[in-house]
Amino acid sequence: MASTRALARLATRRTAVPAVWTRSFASVEPASPSRSTISETKTSTVKEPAPQKDAKIKTFHVYRWNPDEPTSKPRMQSYTLDLNKTGPMMLDALIRIKNETDPTLTFRRSCREGICGSCAMNIDGVNTLACLCRIPTDTTKESRIYPLPHTYVVKDLVPDLTNFYKQYRSIKPYLQRDTPPPDGRENRQSKAERKKLDGLYECILCACCSTSCPSYWWNQEEYLGPAVLLQSYRWIADSRDERTAERKDALNNSMSLYRCHTIMNCSRTCPKGLNPGLAIAEIKKSMAFT
Amino acid sequence: MASIARPALLRQVCNAAPSRRMASTFAGSSLKHPSPLTRRPMQSAFATPGASRVAAFHASGRRPILPPLPQVVDGDVNKPAPVPEPSASHGNYHWTFERLISAGLIPLSIAPFAAGSLNPLMDASLCALIIVHSHIGFTANIIDYFPEKRVPLIRKGSFWLLRAGTVLLGIGMYSFETNDVGITEAIKRVWHA
Repeated sequence: MASTRALARLATRRTAVPAVWTRSFASVEPASPSRSTISETKTSTVKEPAPQKDAKIKTFHVYRWNPDEPTSKPRMQSYTLDLNKTGPMMLDALIRIKNETDPTLTFRRSCREGICGSCAMNIDGVNTLACLCRIPTDTTKESRIYPLPHTYVVKDLVPDLTNFYKQYRSIKPYLQRDTPPPDGRENRQSKAERKKLDGLYECILCACCSTSCPSYWWNQEEYLGPAVLLQSYRWIADSRDERTAERKDALNNSMSLYRCHTIMNCSRTCPKGLNPGLAIAEIKKSMAFT
Repeated sequence: MASIARPALLRQVCNAAPSRRMASTFAGSSLKHPSPLTRRPMQSAFATPGASRVAAFHASGRRPILPPLPQVVDGDVNKPAPVPEPSASHGNYHWTFERLISAGLIPLSIAPFAAGSLNPLMDASLCALIIVHSHIGFTANIIDYFPEKRVPLIRKGSFWLLRAGTVLLGIGMYSFETNDVGITEAIKRVWHA
C-alpha cells in the first residue's frame, strides 16, 4: 500500500501537465478564504544564521498565528535553511528552525519516527506526518507548511483535535464483553480472526485522513470521519467483541457513516499506508442487508 | 479590452490598502515593495504559482460562503460526542436502496444500445429509476452543503424545492412517455439528427 502511494506521488510529480491538474491529493488552496493568510511576500524572511559557500539553501513557508494577538491575521513566515546541516525529514527542519532561528515557532512532536501521530500537518498540500515526510532536495522548490486543514488552530501548526477525540470516544474504542473467557484466562482468537485486524490496529489517530476528507470538512460535527470509522471497524471486526450489533446501530443514521462518498482522499493521504476507505466500505457492506 | 483589464486593476486597488498597513508592521516588505502600486500584479501571480493564482475576480471583498463559527465544545472535552438515534430508513436501508437503484440503471441504460429501443414498460422503469436516482442524489447534496445547524431554513426550503422538482419531473416524464415517443426514442432521434 505504501509503495503504491509513493508511486502515485511520483507519477503526479514527473508529468508535464500544469501543477493545477496534478494536485490530486488533499490540499489546501493557498488563498482559500477560510484560511486566508498574509502571504509570504509580505512578511520578512528569517535567514539561515551563517550560510556556507556550498550551502543548499531551501526556503520553507510556515503558517504562523499567535493566539496572544487574536486580532492579527495569520501569516506565512519564510525561513531559509541549509539542507547540508539539516536532517532529512521535515520535522528535522522544523526542529532546527525552532532551535536555531525562531524559538517562537510552535508545533507538536514527540516520537520523530511516525508512531505517535503528533506532528501531523499539511506539507506541500498533503496531510502527512512531518517526521515521515522527506524534505524535497530540490532547493528551487519552496516548501509550504500549514496546520491540518479545516481544524481550529491553537497556535501556529498546532490544531485543536477536541472534536476528533470526542468522536473517537463516542465509538467506545475498547473491548466490550458480557461472557467471561472460556478458559478463564484469555479471550482467544484464531489466526484468521487476528488477520482481520491487520491494517486496522496500526492506525495512530494522527487525523491526517479525517482532515483530508471534504465530507468531513463540511460536516465534522456529525460525520465521524475516516479515522474514527476505521477504528469503529477495528472493533466491529474483532472476533472477541460482543457488541457488534450495538456498534453498527450507533452508525446506522444518515450522518455518522453514510456521509462517506468514497472520495478516497483518506486512503491516499494516510502516512501509515492504511486504507480507511476500505474499512468504511466494509462497514457499509456488512450493514447492507441486515 | 477594458473589461479584461478590470480585474487586475481592481485587484491592485483591493491590495493597496492591506499591504500599506502591512508595510508598517513588517519592515522587510516595505524594502521589497516600496509601494503597492509599483508591483506588477499579473506577473507576480504567475511567478509564484498558487500564491495568488485565484486573484480576486470581484470588486467586493472575498467572502467565504459559510465561514466557520467560533469553536464550541459540546459539553465537556472528555464527554463523547453524542450518538444519534439509529434509523434504518436513513441509514443502511437507504444506502442499500440507493445502490440497488444505481446498479439497476446500468443495464437499463445499456439495453437501448444493444436492442435499438425499449418497449414502453422498460422505458417507463428507466424513467422511474432516473427520477428516484436524481432525487436521492440531490438529497445527498442538500444534506452535505446545508447543515441543519447553520442554515435550517435554506435546508428546509431546498428540500421542498427538490420535492416539487421531482414531482414536476415525474409528471413531465409521464406525459412524455404517454403522449410522445419516450426518452430512449427521443435520444435516438437527437443522436441521428
